[in-house]
Amino acid sequence: MSCLDYKMTRRSMLGATGATLLGWQIRDLLANEGKSHAQTAEHVILFWNGGGMTHIDTWDPKPGRPTAGEFKPIKTSVPGMEISQIFPELAKQMHHCSLIRSIAGTNGDHGRATYQLQTSYQASSNLLHPGLGSVVAHERQQIGDLPAYISISGQAPRAGYMGQKCEAYFVAEPGEQDPYLAFPSGIAEVRGNKRLEVLGRFNQRFTDTQRNAKLDATQTAINDAVRLMRSPALEAFDLNKVPTTTLNKYGDTPFGRGCILAKRLVETGVRFVQVNRGGFDTHTANFPAMEGHGQVMDPALASLVSDLAESGMLKKTLIIMLSEFGRTPKINDDAGRDHWASVFSCFMAGGGIKGGQVIGSSDEDGFQPKDRPVQVPDIHATVCHALGINPNKEVMTPLQRPMKLVDKGALVKELFV
Amino acid sequence: MTARVALGVALLISVGSFAPLAMNVAVSAESATLSPLDQLLATENAGVKAQATPIINDLAFLRRITVDMIGRIPTAAEIDEYMAWSSAERRLQVIDKLLADGRFADRWTVFYSDLLRLRTGAEGGQAFLAYVHKAVEASVPYDEMVRQLLIANGKANYTPEVGFILGDGADPMAMAGVTSQTFMGIRIACAQCHDHPFDVWTREDFYGLAAYFGKTRRYENDFTNTIYTTEADATTVLWPPEGVGKDSDRKPMVPKFPFQLAEGTEDPEYIVRLKELRAAQEERKLAAKSAKQNKVDDLLAEADKALEKATKAVAVDATGVLAENQSEVEKLKLAQGRYRNSELRTDLAKLVTSPRNRYFAKNLVNRVWSELLGRGFVDPVDDFSQNNKPSHPKTLDYLADEFVAGGYDLKNLIRIIVTSQTYQREHLVNVDDPTRTTVETAFLATSPRRMISEALYDSIVVGGRLFDVKHEQGKNLTTAWRHQQVVKDKKSEEIATANLAAAVQTTKPDMKEKPAAAVPTSGAYSVEDAFELDFNAVLAKKDDEPEVEQMKMMSKEEIEAQAMSKQIGRPGVEYIDKYVKVIFDDNPRFTTALRMETPAPPTHFLRVFGQSTREALGEFRDHSPTMRQALLIMNGRLIHEASRVGELEPAYPLLVGKKKDYAKAVVLAYRDLLTREATEQEIKEGIQLIEAGETPLAGYADFRWVLLNCNEFRFIP
Repeated sequence: MSCLDYKMTRRSMLGATGATLLGWQIRDLLANEGKSHAQTAEHVILFWNGGGMTHIDTWDPKPGRPTAGEFKPIKTSVPGMEISQIFPELAKQMHHCSLIRSIAGTNGDHGRATYQLQTSYQASSNLLHPGLGSVVAHERQQIGDLPAYISISGQAPRAGYMGQKCEAYFVAEPGEQDPYLAFPSGIAEVRGNKRLEVLGRFNQRFTDTQRNAKLDATQTAINDAVRLMRSPALEAFDLNKVPTTTLNKYGDTPFGRGCILAKRLVETGVRFVQVNRGGFDTHTANFPAMEGHGQVMDPALASLVSDLAESGMLKKTLIIMLSEFGRTPKINDDAGRDHWASVFSCFMAGGGIKGGQVIGSSDEDGFQPKDRPVQVPDIHATVCHALGINPNKEVMTPLQRPMKLVDKGALVKELFV
Repeated sequence: MTARVALGVALLISVGSFAPLAMNVAVSAESATLSPLDQLLATENAGVKAQATPIINDLAFLRRITVDMIGRIPTAAEIDEYMAWSSAERRLQVIDKLLADGRFADRWTVFYSDLLRLRTGAEGGQAFLAYVHKAVEASVPYDEMVRQLLIANGKANYTPEVGFILGDGADPMAMAGVTSQTFMGIRIACAQCHDHPFDVWTREDFYGLAAYFGKTRRYENDFTNTIYTTEADATTVLWPPEGVGKDSDRKPMVPKFPFQLAEGTEDPEYIVRLKELRAAQEERKLAAKSAKQNKVDDLLAEADKALEKATKAVAVDATGVLAENQSEVEKLKLAQGRYRNSELRTDLAKLVTSPRNRYFAKNLVNRVWSELLGRGFVDPVDDFSQNNKPSHPKTLDYLADEFVAGGYDLKNLIRIIVTSQTYQREHLVNVDDPTRTTVETAFLATSPRRMISEALYDSIVVGGRLFDVKHEQGKNLTTAWRHQQVVKDKKSEEIATANLAAAVQTTKPDMKEKPAAAVPTSGAYSVEDAFELDFNAVLAKKDDEPEVEQMKMMSKEEIEAQAMSKQIGRPGVEYIDKYVKVIFDDNPRFTTALRMETPAPPTHFLRVFGQSTREALGEFRDHSPTMRQALLIMNGRLIHEASRVGELEPAYPLLVGKKKDYAKAVVLAYRDLLTREATEQEIKEGIQLIEAGETPLAGYADFRWVLLNCNEFRFIP
């Protein structure tokens, strides 16, 4: 897709979206005029699979090899592209999706690997690097009332030197109401508003006597909070009105609801949604576990991709699924697979990347990258690129040390051809 | 009870010279006289053309000192006690009282936890926290504590001090940066990869420092699930660094302390005083034991000998062992319950904590100063360098001298600071920001500081009288629905039902009918709870029977498997959703946030209000306001409960019944929450708010909610 084509796509998208969103989109387009490259995405949905998801049993099957394991590969909507049998529905959507099968990781330890996969940097005790979502929140303007960066069902990486403003807004469980977005139970709306009004008066009086910018900022934060509490956009969090048919289509699981919520959030304008899920550290009984994961992930991912594609949102929403490493090709005595960082895979869709591609490959048993090795920071550089963010941009830490947004990452160009 | 003295308005003189401070003595409280610290600071401020702000009034001082010393605002009873003391004596008296308070150790453990990047989630972290708390409680001299942290080897959570090096995986490169930045305020870590860009430190300096940790090894025993450190004979720190020249040229790096110690053959005055003090302390100890008197000169040597003994005692059994799997030796060591202390790190500890290492004392003094005054002489506090010289070098020197001479005693140092006029000044108000910065940097005015998150939490708890039960029993019966997933199996269903005393409803209630007070399934409000850690229980763990602990902990895989089965379920088992109706007496009590596992989880109150992850060096508390803070504090349970009026509170009879007196209730709230008397205007306004409520109790709750949320509450006066 050329830049020109891309611009046309965006313009046609403008016509298709609701009037309430029109205002910011134009503003955003103008703001992007001076960018070094054209952006292809507005939003990101990052699926974080904690524990280290096996690559061979998901995106990189090795049929006929001793390392193949119990699953068979299946055909997908893309001729020649095969994925594991645990994703029958997703297989039908692969023309929207691409795979990287040659990520060359460097850490086999959960903590350090997670740190690098989420921040692009190696962990060090000198500096806490921001996660990808914080980078996006730092670089791209918030759209509407909802926070730019929302993390669902678990912990997102920290914002590090980017500070509290770039931290994720957490949703403990999709569909559950955030109790902090409403006055405490027993406090009616009128009474709560009255409290806020009196509080504003007290704070103003105090600020008047002190005249200190430190104090003004507190009231700004209160005003932001009140705006969010009163925002109609909060409806996106409420899954009560989601039709049962939709819930069933995604699979009525926390992960399925997480996908539905992620979709609703990006539709409302949220820049970066991270959906967390654990249980991939399959040292024992890898195959029943992965079968279970497939049952949960397959309907949800397939529905998410097809629904976003249908509504046109997929074009500007980059979906990416990451895990800290892959798992050993060799199956251990407990029918499990252990940590394996030398090569693993990742799944991507939408956001301007061309679907139906397989980038790179691993060797015949899935031990090492065979061709086109992709370094971990390359993934971050690619996500930044899609959002029109220069991955080499330097940001000053509070200690005045210039830090690049991404640690020496190179764009995976083929994805955008 | 004295009425509140009207605040003096600080004047700023931009022309002409004058003797700083002289003007303020008249308006200051009598107890705060010019200390040597104030005098020295004034000399150093000779060039600053600005006047110092007046001394804060007695009640503002009480609030400031109480928050700083024990991590919460004072209670109404404490206000009364303080004001009853003679006006000349009350400040000194309250300082002594607070330094002796049990909560002092709680509050200043938080200070050390920030300094030492203490994480209870790290290996050996819990015992490390308990150890630090115990050290503060027992007034263990700072140099002594640091020596223990630097030399220890042992098992995580059994040898508490080892939590310090395990916090960074006992990695020599990390420990070089940590030792330098934590204990000397020098950022040498940049020199790991390149010579320091703006400072004098070279890579060789860095490697020389790292080499002290070169023989330290961290071992993990998968079988017993234990982690420990010990010393090997070979070093892992090689010079030149990897990638520079041929690998075959890399040789073991010789440990070298890169920082200059104070020179001279004669002991400086502060060291003479330190020796005298320690000799006297030792004498008292010996006298108490009615033992033979020791010679003064031998005392420091004695301490060194004791260290050496500890180091060499078990050296024999581990000689020549490098391989991780020499299980025989491991067994032997575990059986002996001892680990080899580090000779290299013993040398390092001696150098770091030497009274001639000026950085060591200055760093801590500067940190404590910053904690109490809002900024350091050297700021940021971890950057002592040529390009970041102290604002008041002589004052810093003086405090460092006094700290050393006082036996590295934290309380002694704090007393010197808080009894000074400098600590007791008002903020500068009504000026532009550049002017304020100039005056605050000269410490002619104090900067407004927001309470640290732990103190803010505890202040809300104490202000809302939530440390005790404040409602009568049964007055707050609440019905809630609890969501449960149970196995669809007749037998277990019965068990699940039988376990609950309250009424059980097995069908999912209609969403519309779901009561407002539904208990969130993921425990959403738990981000506002504090769970006290039992420090004594943590320290009671003994390392004499290593096999007992075997397999007690769950492995990572087991935890994963459990998490998995929760989400994907077991094949062949059906689950059903149950909404269980629970009736409980919602009469909450809160406990202190100062004794929690730390840092708190990411969404917890403490973290939202600025507690850092303590993962990286130079990561400080972030005191900037955020939307999350606003949501948490406006809509959270803690402030809601603190505002709500209980029948057992002193405010209750002032609002309900024959003896009601709204004006008194307003005065009480101002004292309870803001530690000051209400003005006429404020009383009038408070009464209006009480009367505007649906009931006086609701109106009073609204009024308290406002006071708890306002800036005046969270900023230290």
